[in-house]
Amino acid sequence: MKGDIKEMSHAQPMIEVSGLNKQFRTPVVKEGRFAGLRTLFTREYRMKEAVKDISFTIHKGDFVGYIGPNGAGKSTTIKMLTGILHPSSGEVKINGVNPHQQRRQVAKRLGVVFGQRSQLWWDLPVKDSYDILAHMYKVTAQDKEKRLKELGELLVLKEFWLTPVRKLSLGQRMRADIAASMLHDPDVLFLDEPTIGLDVTAKRSIRGFLKKLNSEYGKTILLTTHDMDDIEQLCERVMVINHGELSYEGSIENLRDRIGLPTLIRVTFNGAYQLPVPDGLVLPIEVALDADHTFRIVEANNREVHIEANRQQVKAMDILRLISGWGEVADIHMEEPDFEDVIHRVY
Amino acid sequence: MSIKYWLDLYAVLIRSSIRSRMQYKLNFMLGTVLAAVIQIAEFLMIAIVLNKFGAVKGWSLYEVGYLFAVMTLSKTLYRTFASDVHHLENYLTTGELDQLLTRPVPILMALMSQNIRLMPGELLQGGAILYWSMHGLMSSGQIHWIALPYTVFVIFTGAIILFSIGLATATVGFWITRINELQTLTEDAAQTAVRYPLILYPSWLRSILLVVIPVGFVNYVPSLFILRGEYGSWLVYGIAPLAGLFLYLGLKFWKFGLTRYQSTGS
Repeated sequence: MKGDIKEMSHAQPMIEVSGLNKQFRTPVVKEGRFAGLRTLFTREYRMKEAVKDISFTIHKGDFVGYIGPNGAGKSTTIKMLTGILHPSSGEVKINGVNPHQQRRQVAKRLGVVFGQRSQLWWDLPVKDSYDILAHMYKVTAQDKEKRLKELGELLVLKEFWLTPVRKLSLGQRMRADIAASMLHDPDVLFLDEPTIGLDVTAKRSIRGFLKKLNSEYGKTILLTTHDMDDIEQLCERVMVINHGELSYEGSIENLRDRIGLPTLIRVTFNGAYQLPVPDGLVLPIEVALDADHTFRIVEANNREVHIEANRQQVKAMDILRLISGWGEVADIHMEEPDFEDVIHRVY
Repeated sequence: MSIKYWLDLYAVLIRSSIRSRMQYKLNFMLGTVLAAVIQIAEFLMIAIVLNKFGAVKGWSLYEVGYLFAVMTLSKTLYRTFASDVHHLENYLTTGELDQLLTRPVPILMALMSQNIRLMPGELLQGGAILYWSMHGLMSSGQIHWIALPYTVFVIFTGAIILFSIGLATATVGFWITRINELQTLTEDAAQTAVRYPLILYPSWLRSILLVVIPVGFVNYVPSLFILRGEYGSWLVYGIAPLAGLFLYLGLKFWKFGLTRYQSTGS
């Protein structure tokens, strides 16, 4: 019976969010004498809607990226999912349990990493934090040894095993923190900007590890980041939040398509070529491919022509066929829109 | 979750907290010595004033010493075990409470095991003054040995009352974040005021110190019976359910406050 449930669990919803709202109500801070007391009795408030009516479902084994500009409500959402903040309205269920009613029960099955601050005991050696956490999450001695051995190899923890956390480099601290969040073998992992401030090597090693956690260990992961490489390399699905509202949810390819950023085509000609436009016209200029479709010539110099085309609307082959009539083509180079640009458009 | 689990975990957390603190040994020792010096200086002030004027409204120097010592010991107990409840403001302004909230441990327990503060200076000073004043009162035959267990009892209930007041004050921080000035009022000023017999104060202030901020129940009310035999022993026993009630209200308020936690931006 138990086995059956496991079998079916692949499409099992892990994180369910419905109609989530969060308004922050901050009293207007007074100045001058007894400012604190006067603020206490003030009736003036500023309301800020940080999250507006967000709903989504994340299934077991999903790796989802949650992106949005600074102040869009990413962290607020994550904090509501983990039970840190209580929503103004709406409901969260993690594996069927509400973190605001049963915070501790949810916390037991949750791994949380905040890139901005450490979860470890600041003044104690890294090893000690794991001992404390093992105690806290009731991890048996064998399980602890086994997991730390695995984690230690993947994240190279040995080199700073006995160093106090406050003396770790940012990259080391991040590895130590991620290991700490995995010690109790949680079902769900929340990562709030885990690669912030890291160098390329450190980022790569963390990404490799997260990928493994998801694909080999089947962990459900929700990741917020500003690094689009994180998203592109790790996530199957992205959710974009802007001004507190979900503005996109789906695959990365769809996102790219929906925005419809043009592909840049650089054509190099052998010798002279003839553009199908009158001389002396200022570039860029729209050129008709057929009755309904156009593309743009953005730049032309003595050997090279730069063309922008939206590949959702026109086929590259059609354009190439047309171009080959302009002169003898020596080389063609195509650039897909940069993901960073795609995101910039969504924001 | 068994009680054993919680006790073990608490012990582990406390040990870690002490080990963290010992990383800065000089700071710890300096802090301890300074605290003791300040405490003694504070009592000397009272002693000098009382010595000059004799008794205050019928309260002898020994009796005032007793009030002072009981308050100091209750406060020491409260601050030793709940140091970071008093310092909740730091967690609110930095958003550090986030980390505690992601752990499968009651927040209050997590908070109370964060920075256990050993206060040998205050303990020694409070104990010494208590010994001196009780010794004096016993020699004159005003109190008997039975006052001793009463006093220990009252120190504990007092710690619970001070904790409840501290907790309620800290909870206000979930709405207003900065609570320093409020604490000065409900904790520091109130505690200092009841180091003297309440009879000294006008009745409106006395009511405040008994009803609004019930610090009067820490030392003054029980000492009416313990030292002077007024009313009856129910005065002392009655403080336990009262302390329990304050604690219950404090915890209720705290639970509600937690749902209003706003964290910080990142």
